[in-house]
Formats: sequence, structure tokens, C-alpha cells
Amino acid sequence: MQAAIETHALTKRYGPRPVVRDLTFAVEPGEVYALIGPNGAGKTTVIRLVSGLAFPSSGTVLMLGHDPHETPTIRRRLGAVVEAPAAFYPYLTGRSNLLLHARLAGGVATSRVREVLDQVELGHAADRKVGVYSLGMRQRLGVAAALLTRPEVLILDEPASGMDPLSLHLVHRVLRDAASSGTAVLLSTHHLDEVVAYCSHVGILEEGVLIDEVDLRDRGARMRAMVDDVQNARLTLAAQPWVREVFVRGRDVVFTLDESAAIDRVGRCLAAAGVALRELGDDSFDLRSYYRERVEAQRARRTSVEGRPGAVAAVSVADAPTGADA
Amino acid sequence: MSALLQMELGKLGRLASVRFGALVLILFPLLWAYAPGIFDVYGFFLVSGFQVPALALLSSMEFLLPLLIAITCAELIGIEINHGTLPTVLLRPITRAQWLLAKLLVASAYPFLALAFFLLTSLAAGAFFGFGPFVGGTGLGRQGLLGAGTMVPIEAWQEVLRAYLIAAYSLVPIGLLAVLFAVILMNAAGGALATLATLIVMQLLVVFPAVTPYLLTTQLSAYVQPASPLGWVVALIALYCAAFAAAAVIVFERKDF
Repeated sequence: MQAAIETHALTKRYGPRPVVRDLTFAVEPGEVYALIGPNGAGKTTVIRLVSGLAFPSSGTVLMLGHDPHETPTIRRRLGAVVEAPAAFYPYLTGRSNLLLHARLAGGVATSRVREVLDQVELGHAADRKVGVYSLGMRQRLGVAAALLTRPEVLILDEPASGMDPLSLHLVHRVLRDAASSGTAVLLSTHHLDEVVAYCSHVGILEEGVLIDEVDLRDRGARMRAMVDDVQNARLTLAAQPWVREVFVRGRDVVFTLDESAAIDRVGRCLAAAGVALRELGDDSFDLRSYYRERVEAQRARRTSVEGRPGAVAAVSVADAPTGADA
Repeated sequence: MSALLQMELGKLGRLASVRFGALVLILFPLLWAYAPGIFDVYGFFLVSGFQVPALALLSSMEFLLPLLIAITCAELIGIEINHGTLPTVLLRPITRAQWLLAKLLVASAYPFLALAFFLLTSLAAGAFFGFGPFVGGTGLGRQGLLGAGTMVPIEAWQEVLRAYLIAAYSLVPIGLLAVLFAVILMNAAGGALATLATLIVMQLLVVFPAVTPYLLTTQLSAYVQPASPLGWVVALIALYCAAFAAAAVIVFERKDF
């Protein structure tokens, strides 16, 4: 399958200082990829490079197989919000702003404008000037503008910024729906708890370097078993064809089940091996802790590298420990 | 492209500088029409409604009109930066060149729109004096305000319209220069200021007689006394316009947003 968004060795420098270094990642249709990282990590720069607003210093960006700078018409298939809060003409109403976007997009039916306004629950405020919209309303209008053309690629910079919990939930639902219909979604965010709920992949950026990528779909399918003999349980489960990635964490065995495998098989299999199963449940993934750990590890690593004379500071995902070690 | 152009023309009326400029262009001719000390200072009386547009133009082409044009044309870019709408627009399937071209066309049209409005407000201000035949000149012909005998209305109309048309045309490169500077600096105030600074420097270059006929500022008086044959002046102004527009597009094409 062709990736909807693909970057290879993407680097951006402002003067001598690189703000994004050797970034390689891909977003497939139907995936929701979240870029997370501390302030100044380069998330917004990546969003702007990928959407074609900024030019790479080196490396490549492909959107649906095309360079967005060389083929601007590819943006017919893109929906994007790159400002937080989303930028609109304040003297126009929400509806007029979307109609203007519809014209710029090359013609979108008026009924579609109404539809996206309803989708983000702004139908009641559609005829108010955007200047009087709250931050959250503007953000929702931004999402509506991005959805206007039924895009194949959605790129959103901080879509949850300034939103109340209800609006946040609404936008998450809209993005999940878009992804489930095959749209590739790339977003940047600081809302780590929400990311786990609806994103399929997470890329952790630190100082312009992608230090780790996490496939949350695998994480979501992980199970945790508390047993009396962890090594025996590990070996038993590892021998099963319907079990993947078995490892021991403290007094637990953590593993991933193939989608087709029934949970009750785990208990039967362990009992047959003489392992007492005390507790079995989902292995909830704590992205917040994981993120903190990875960023701190990267910073410590960089500090030690910089301490060496003549050392190169860049430490990328290629030479960092993999997420599976965690 | 026509949709884009229509959209950009629509935005023009919403610019603060256009509204402020309109107010100035209403008040300015009134000062001339009803100034009680005009004879004491300039040694003549206004005798015709046609002389008010002439005086308004003569006294504003050196600084006021270039200032208004530069500010508004820089604001055409600045308003998008202020609202943060520039990236939003560029994410749609239009090329950067198309978008900037629409802005440049609006910037080129603005001097004509502004001077058409200025002419109307000047004529309205001068209505008190009437528009019949009068002894003297409009101030825009070879004989100045004193004229050479009686001037008939049709002749006066021709002089005034011709002068306003040439004046508007000579202001177009100033608008395009303001767009160029606003694109370089990504700031409306900076764009307008850089344009005015350039014009002031150009005015100082009159001390080099060899370059004087080619200066943009020299062409600002072409509506009343062209430095060269009018065809040559028109071509030179067109060259300035093309150079400023091309430079703006080249710079804009490589900008990061």
C-alpha cells in the first residue's frame, strides 16, 4: 500500500541550527499518527514541512506519492489546520469562511458546508462572525474546514488546543471516523492521555530528532497475566502460535494476542503447564511515563555524547534503544 | 483565478487603511475648496470647480497619495499575516504565484480606484464654484491655474481626467513595491516604511542628472509635466511594475510559512 505521507531523511535548518534532523516516517491510509514532544521539539516545523508550507533543507516529503511543492494540486486531497487556534477572517461568519474555503478548494457543494458545520456541532453558530467565536469554537471550525473536501490526508497542528473536554471528545470522534473511512491523519499534540485513546501511532520528537515510534494498536492488544511462575508462563505462552511478543515485567507476563485468539485459551494453556493464573487483564499503556522516560533518556544520552570532544550531538531513532525494550 | 481575484477585491474594502484613506480623500479637497487664506498664500482665487481636483492632486502627489497607496498595498499582505490566514489559503490547491498575482492585480487596481474616488470627492468639493466656462486654467494644463483666456468645460474635463489617469498609473509601481517589501519583511508596517524610505532616497538622487529621467519618483509628476515623451514614461512605469511584481513572486515562491 502506498503511504499517504512519507518523509525520508527530512532535515530543516534555520541558519546553521537544524530544527528537524533526518526525520523518516510514514503514515498509511486509515492511520492516526500523533507527533508528541516537548515545546520546541520541532512538531510544528514537521507539520509545515509535510503540508508543503515550508521547504526542506534536505530530504524528501511525499504526499500521496507526490512532492507537494512540485505538484500543488495534490492539496485538493489534503485537509489541514496548521495554526493554533485555527485562522479565519474574523469579520466573516463561520459559514462564510467555509464557503470561501470551498471556493478556494475548487468548488464544494453548499450542502457539504452545512454538513461539516453540523459534524463539529457549530450549526447553531454558523452565522455568527468568527471574531466572536471562543478558542474552542475556532478550533472546531478549523477541523470543519479541513474536512470540507473529504480529504485523503488530514494534517492538524494542536487540534485540541483551547478545547473543553466535550469539544475534545467531539474532535477525537471526528478524527477517528475520518481515519476509519481511510483518511490518513497526522497531528501534533500535548494531550498524551487522549492520544492513547484514538491514535494508532505515536512519534516522539526531541530537539528535531524522532527518538521513538510506538505502534499503539499493538499496545492496545497487549495483555498482562499475574502468575506464580513467570518464567514457565513466559515459555509456555511464547510457544503458542496465537501469542506474540512475550516478555516478563516484574511478577507479570506481558504478551500480545493475535486478534483471532480467545482470551480463555490463555488460562487453559497456563493451567496445562502447571502455572497458577492469579489475574489476567489488559496491559494498559502509560504513554505519559513512557514518553517522559524516552525523552529523559535521549537528553542524558545527548549530554554524554556532547561531553566527548568532537562528538556529534544527533542521536536518532536508529541508534536509540527500541520501544519494545520498555 | 477569477474567484481568487474577486475574493481579494472584496477584502480591499475591509482594510483599515482603505477606510482611513477614504476619509482623508474626502476631507483633503474640502480644505482647498474652503480655505480662506488661499489668496494670501498662493496668490490666486479659485474660480471653477475644475480647479479643486487639480489643486488636490498637485498638493498630494508628492507625499500623501504615495503614502496612502504604499500603506494599503502593504496591508494587502499584512492583513493575511495578522489574521494568520496566509498558510490557510496556501494549503488550498492554488499555487503561491496565483495567490500573489491576485494580490498584485488588486494592488495595481487600487491607485485607479483611489484616484477615481479622489476625483469624485474633489469635484463634489468644488461644486460650489460650478463647472461652467471660466477664465483661467485647471492647473493641470500647460498654462497652469492662470490659463490662457476662457476655458470651456469639455477642455477642462479632458485635462482633469487625463491628469488623474496618468497620476493613478504612475502610482501603480509604488503599490507593487510595497507588496514586494511586505513579502520580504512579512509585515505591513515594515513594507510601507521600506517603500517610503525607497521613494525618499530616490528623490535625493536628483543630484545625479543622468539618472533623474529614469527614477520612479520623477514619473510621479508626469501627469502635469512628463520628463520625457508620454509613451516613454508609460513604458518605463510598466518596466518598474514588471520588475517589482516578478521580484515579489520570486521571493514569495521560496518563503517558509
